[in-house]
Amino acid sequence: MTELFASIEGSALAAWVRESPSIWAYATILTLHTVGLAIVVGVNVVVDLRLLGRAPRIPVASLRALFPIMWAGFAINLTSGLLLFIADATTKSGQRVFWVKLACITLALLVARTVATRLRHDHPGNLRALAVTSLVLWAGAIVAGRLMAYL
Amino acid sequence: MPDLMPFAQWLHATPASNWINSSRWLWPLCESLHFMGLSLLVGITGFLDLRLMGFFRRVPVAAARDLMPFALVGFGLNVATGIVFLIGLPEQYFANRMWWFKVGFLALAGLNAAFYETRLSAKMLALEPSGDLPRAAKLVGFVSLVSWFAVLYCGRMLAFIGDAF
Repeated sequence: MTELFASIEGSALAAWVRESPSIWAYATILTLHTVGLAIVVGVNVVVDLRLLGRAPRIPVASLRALFPIMWAGFAINLTSGLLLFIADATTKSGQRVFWVKLACITLALLVARTVATRLRHDHPGNLRALAVTSLVLWAGAIVAGRLMAYL
Repeated sequence: MPDLMPFAQWLHATPASNWINSSRWLWPLCESLHFMGLSLLVGITGFLDLRLMGFFRRVPVAAARDLMPFALVGFGLNVATGIVFLIGLPEQYFANRMWWFKVGFLALAGLNAAFYETRLSAKMLALEPSGDLPRAAKLVGFVSLVSWFAVLYCGRMLAFIGDAF
């Protein structure tokens, strides 16, 4: 596994992300990762607060229209995240907090998908527990992501 | 513009600045809170902006605004954590042109929101819930959305254009 990550890190693309002085390399990719974070977590915050009973005048069924925006944000972050990962694959794959971040994101996306599916039903039922879980997991992903720069 | 460097150096020498810089975990803690705050702010404000621009017609404009108190919580969180960063390393921000662009876009977003609240909001609430919106409302939504993402862009680019972090 370590050899695989080392060979990924040695690729021309990884070297470009890591070493290019161009503003379009590391700086722009990292900035896009933050833009995607704002979109993905921002959409989830709106959905989760509504599911927790805030802003009751927003029709719950209308929240479904927000999920395509969340998935667009996720596409930005999957792409930018992969590029950031390959640039430092050996270091990042060796960080426990990186895998904590990935676990939080995977679980949070499963929760979001479950919520989106339930919202398609006429009676989606009580989604409060899922909303709380989602907020906790996204907060966890943010903290773990930040700590990657410090641990 | 007055020279802010003497002020920055004074600020950097204060006990508060020393304390911020001597703590190993305060900076990453504040950065994490700053990201949570921006998610609240951009998510909730962006939702209202898109509604003003004519998306999500099933949501009444008044209802789309109901979550705004949480956006203000996010904004407060980011002002507070932003002040921690500024007290910690004032010179690197004052000397960074992206930081000033960020402050400029913050001001634009603020003026735009103030214009909406004082001139448009009451009229908007009187409209049909799913009706088409006046052009001024669409423009306010668009300006808000662009300004907040510009704030985000400038904030993240601080580290690369002018060497702050």
